[in-house]
Amino acid sequence: MATEAEAEGVWEAWMAAAQAGDARAYDALLRAALPLLRAVARRRIHDEHEAEDAVQDALLTIHRLRHTYDPSRPVRPWLAAICERRCIDRLRRRGRHQGRETPIDAFGETLAAPAKAGGHEASEARLTAAELRAAIAELPESQRTALYLAKLEDLPLAEASARSGLSVGALKVATHRAVRALRRRLGGVTEDGG
Amino acid sequence: MRTEDLIAELTDGLRPVRRLAPPGRRAALWLCFAALAVGSPVALFGLRPDLASRLALPHEAMQLAASLATGVLAAVAAFHLALPDRSPRWALLPLPTLALWLGSLGWGCMADAARLGPGALVLGTSWGCLRFILGLGVPLMATMLWALRHAGPVRPVPVVLLGALAAASLCSFGLSLFHRLDAAAMVLAWHGGATALMLLIGWAFGRPALIAASAVR
Repeated sequence: MATEAEAEGVWEAWMAAAQAGDARAYDALLRAALPLLRAVARRRIHDEHEAEDAVQDALLTIHRLRHTYDPSRPVRPWLAAICERRCIDRLRRRGRHQGRETPIDAFGETLAAPAKAGGHEASEARLTAAELRAAIAELPESQRTALYLAKLEDLPLAEASARSGLSVGALKVATHRAVRALRRRLGGVTEDGG
Repeated sequence: MRTEDLIAELTDGLRPVRRLAPPGRRAALWLCFAALAVGSPVALFGLRPDLASRLALPHEAMQLAASLATGVLAAVAAFHLALPDRSPRWALLPLPTLALWLGSLGWGCMADAARLGPGALVLGTSWGCLRFILGLGVPLMATMLWALRHAGPVRPVPVVLLGALAAASLCSFGLSLFHRLDAAAMVLAWHGGATALMLLIGWAFGRPALIAASAVR
């Protein structure tokens, strides 16, 4: 119990130091808080990858709102509340998207049929998806964040900007560069492969 | 991207930030500003001459006090609720005085009807009331949302609605001090209607505005 209480006091001190610009304390706090954030996200979101994405959203918001933390109050509820909020937003958005989308499983037969007829096309589609994933993973951080928020999450620019801490202009530039880099990279793959 | 890499990115080149003042103090500051904004037209037009006699009527006194209290409590609640770790129950703070405000207006309508007959409930137009409450209330709400832009990624809708309620009820209070509008039914329709419209404006435009404002620092 004493260790836990002590640890909580340490977290508050780290956060206060982070507000003063201490990067090492901030790094220690965010890493120490990861299990808490992951627990909050996993309680709300069953899909492991989606929950991890929510944790990353929460980290971006924590960073953006770090000036709102009051060091006289415990930091855990503050961190957990932000993470809860990001999870709820993510679930809501997914709900909205699902309303517009039809699960691809419903077309399993339709998709499988041409694969039998022309296995080459299907394997090419699979290759492209894997390549796309790899290409996105290799993008610089800011471009990946911009692409993720503005294109994949389909957020309005202002909201993507609020979440990422990047200005609207920087987001536009980063998204544009990311798309160009992907096109260049994947265009090259198709030429090489086909 | 790995979460650990994101942390490294966030901590890299960390800059110090200025901590927000406690929400109570920030709410008090905004209320001082609102008092100045609402007080100026009251000072300009002067108090209505029959204010003392109107205040002798319990429902009129109650109506004024409740509108002022609703404005103050809604502002205090908004400043607390804008912080991530505060209880969502702060949103309930202005509800009792809001009920009292609407109740006193309803009571006033019944008192008017008993005194003057059903004719007291016939509504006329008072566009001036609507213009004043919206004209002053919307900019007042905007100043609060600017002060609370950090609520954008956290709890935008309740904060915006509380901001709209605070601004509208303070404007209604100020208007009642100088504007002669005797029939309670008219006050209920025009002040209440303007407040409802402010909530609607807040709901429709406030959330995107708050999110957009939170992107600017």
